[in-house]
Amino acid sequence: MEEIEKDIIFYDESKGGVTFSGGEPLMQPDFLTEMLQSCKEKDIHTAVETCGLVKSEDLARIEPYVDLFLYDLKIIDGAKHRQLAGASNRTILMNLRELSQSHDEIIIRFPLIPGINDEGEDVLQIRTFISSLRNVQEIHILPYHKGGIEKYRRLGKEYRLPGIQPPSDQKLSQIEDIFRRVGLRVKIGG
Amino acid sequence: MNERVARLRQKSMDTDATISTERAVLITEFHKQTREFSAPVRRALAFKYLMENKTICISDEELIVGERGQAPKATPTYPELCCHSLQDLDILDSREKVSFRVSNNVRKVYREDIISFWQGRSMRDIIFQNVEKEWRAAYDAGIYTEFMEQRAPGHTVLDDKIYHKGFLDFKAEIEKNLQSLDFLNDHEAYQKKEELKAMSICADAIIRFAERHAEKAQEMAQRESDVKRKKELEKIAGVCRHVPRHAPRDFWEALQAYWFVHLGVITELNTWDSFSPGHLDRHLYPFYKKGLEDGTLTREQAKELLQCLWVKFNNHPAPPKVGVTAAESGTYADFAAIDLGGVKPDGSDGVNEVTYLILDVIEEMKLIQPSSNIQLSKKSPDRFLKRACEIIRQGWGQPSIFNVDLIVDELIRQGKSVEDARSGGTSGCVETGCFGKEAYILTGYFNLPKVLEIALNNGVDPHTGLKIGLETGDATQFESYEELFDAFMRQLNHFVDLKAKGNNIIERLYAIYMPTPFLSILTDDCIRRGKDYHDGGARYNSTYIMGVGIGTLTDSLAAIKYHVFDEKTMNMKDLLQALKDNFAAQEKTRLMLWNNTPKYGNDDDYADNLLKASFDAFYDAINGRRNTRGGFYRVNYLSTTCHVYFGSVTGATADGRRASEPLSEGVSPVQGADRQGPTSVIKSVAKMDQVRTGGALLNQKFTPMLLEGDDGLQDLAHLVRSYFKLDGHHIQFNVVSAETLRAAQASPEKYRDLIVRVAGYSDYFCDLTKSLQDEIIARTEHKSF
Repeated sequence: MEEIEKDIIFYDESKGGVTFSGGEPLMQPDFLTEMLQSCKEKDIHTAVETCGLVKSEDLARIEPYVDLFLYDLKIIDGAKHRQLAGASNRTILMNLRELSQSHDEIIIRFPLIPGINDEGEDVLQIRTFISSLRNVQEIHILPYHKGGIEKYRRLGKEYRLPGIQPPSDQKLSQIEDIFRRVGLRVKIGG
Repeated sequence: MNERVARLRQKSMDTDATISTERAVLITEFHKQTREFSAPVRRALAFKYLMENKTICISDEELIVGERGQAPKATPTYPELCCHSLQDLDILDSREKVSFRVSNNVRKVYREDIISFWQGRSMRDIIFQNVEKEWRAAYDAGIYTEFMEQRAPGHTVLDDKIYHKGFLDFKAEIEKNLQSLDFLNDHEAYQKKEELKAMSICADAIIRFAERHAEKAQEMAQRESDVKRKKELEKIAGVCRHVPRHAPRDFWEALQAYWFVHLGVITELNTWDSFSPGHLDRHLYPFYKKGLEDGTLTREQAKELLQCLWVKFNNHPAPPKVGVTAAESGTYADFAAIDLGGVKPDGSDGVNEVTYLILDVIEEMKLIQPSSNIQLSKKSPDRFLKRACEIIRQGWGQPSIFNVDLIVDELIRQGKSVEDARSGGTSGCVETGCFGKEAYILTGYFNLPKVLEIALNNGVDPHTGLKIGLETGDATQFESYEELFDAFMRQLNHFVDLKAKGNNIIERLYAIYMPTPFLSILTDDCIRRGKDYHDGGARYNSTYIMGVGIGTLTDSLAAIKYHVFDEKTMNMKDLLQALKDNFAAQEKTRLMLWNNTPKYGNDDDYADNLLKASFDAFYDAINGRRNTRGGFYRVNYLSTTCHVYFGSVTGATADGRRASEPLSEGVSPVQGADRQGPTSVIKSVAKMDQVRTGGALLNQKFTPMLLEGDDGLQDLAHLVRSYFKLDGHHIQFNVVSAETLRAAQASPEKYRDLIVRVAGYSDYFCDLTKSLQDEIIARTEHKSF
């Protein structure tokens, strides 16, 4: 908390605050709740970045202390999600739907990976899902970049997305348009 | 920019700097034939002789006229201050970087006429004859430098007076003061009379200088076949007949009036940091507005005229030095400063349309001279900051950003009136002053880590084995950190005493031998007091000593406190041995000191509290001492390129720095020691109580990617505003990747036009010495906020 407080001057000036990110911050729900509570006591804006694959009661527990959720949405198709991410997305979608019933500030973060989830179908499904939520108005598209390759190499890990090129600007603006058309605010990068 | 400006700019950039003997010959002639006068009158007559006899140069296509030399980049010398030897001239001619072409004729003139006359008579010779032996020993050891041994004090900025008054008006004021001298009761009346007479002679001289340009322009117009240029030359003649004799009536005349005054100051003496227009946007605004209203001026014309003035600044390299310092390349930049925005004397926001116009000019001209900055107040509009950030983002280090709210506080703290404080700003690198009303003279850099080195060696300089300090005890016997710090403070006070004694002598030498009556006309209240700028004539008189390497000092103290006294990971004896051996065969020790020690710049109170203590020690040693001009000594923190020189004479330091490597720069953390991002740097630096300084220089380096897009721009602006909320004085950015800099080092020919921020100024990267290039590359490159 001391480290967080050191930067209060910058939060005030830039209307910013603390973002709890990860890994998955909700893997440590007790610590996260405690930190969020302390931030709210000090009037510091809080954001939590989550992949959504968490217990719904944990999400409910932190919700009162979170100003903004940054919620990852990768793929809507259940089978495809299981195949690529190694787990079902049922919980993810359910949690998001539930959260959007009660929470106003949610931004969807959509990691766009060419050849994996950049085809019309996947994108449209994401759009349809977002449109069906009560109160989500903004999406950040996170285009794939190669920054991880070197990191994996240094960690001695196998990099499993070889040969993928970052999406072209043209492709990005096409996808941006798809979301804009239904009135969503879109930002590339985040 | 239009085609004319593009051609003028290109020509200025393509022209080599040369050494011109015209001034040296004229000044020598004058001194040979002159009879005895009082010093001010003698100096005034010398000025008049120069103004009446120097070559008048009007180049093709230019609109603002006047050169210090007989042609652009022809750089005069000032043998009455310091006389170049033939060897100096050879070094200037042959050195790889920032060279000045020296023709055989120049060598001949120097050999036959100049050197023999000035040897032993120049100010530099007189200064070295008059300072104490101990002063000289500390100077030779690199504890401090001395500004006035090669260049005159100067170091000041003009206010708005020449835009309201002509030199006939100044003459009338001088006359009035002459008339009211009281020879019965005022024992200084005679000196005042001589000083005022001298000012009056200088006023005539500058009017004559302008007239000679009018005559030349008229003559050229008569011969000119091109109708358009003929008209321009006639216009130039008209302008030069009117200003600076009278107050300017329009935008063009205002710029030309400034330029004549500028040339007057830098011809009279080789003043430090040239001379500066200061709040040019504010001074020009009434002329701009009037011109636009009555249809005699368009925005494009105003821009063209400003750009023509910019070329003029670029035509004037800093006068080259002599002796050992000539071997170091230095810079062509002469630090003329333009301050944009700020607050008006009534406290209201000073940003106007000309501010934005000048920002456009800066962006298009992309020249290292003049140096430009923005004075940001909490009242300044965000648009102003954003526009400046857009230019900064391009990566060549201009404009720099100053916190005018703090600057006003600094000046008020020093006892200045609130109106005078608001008319002030910064010049040189980051130095605070009241424009047009203050002689705020820089006297030299002060090597803080070297003082610690002397303290650790009981008064001996390990570099030479000479004892130059006090015996403050054997460091291996110190039982606490406090004992060590006490020894440091005693050495510090000793060397500040020496420095101040030297300054007090040098100030008097300038007051007695080298008055500057022309500059005195321009500085309130020299006329009213009948006193010279060098002799306390200004309303305010400050003497600055500039602390260098406070980052290196802090980290070294932190390393000793942490490893020797708190954690006891090593003892003092071993540490001193490691420093003495320059960590030879002790890389592990060095890496421990470098990596496992609290460091300044990371928002870590362990180190930052030592910064505060070091700051207080330097402040207490200097601030409030009386100088000989009725003013006070003050501190500020800037290093220009001196952290490289000081590093070269300072042995290995306890923070893990090897011998001879550069010290930290300005108030910036040690290069590479700030590892927690820019917000932590800002928090650490702001722990220094900067309101008690007259300037503190912080440089930060960003990767270009970080500042991309609107978000990048916003983030940069927020960072600046946050630092200023914390009472930071100045911040500036290099936005260029280390990769690019390394590529430029490898193939300079491909990166000729790469400009970087060095310290309080920008320069061509390829013109910097290798060690300075390396130092800039070593600075931490922030990749995220």
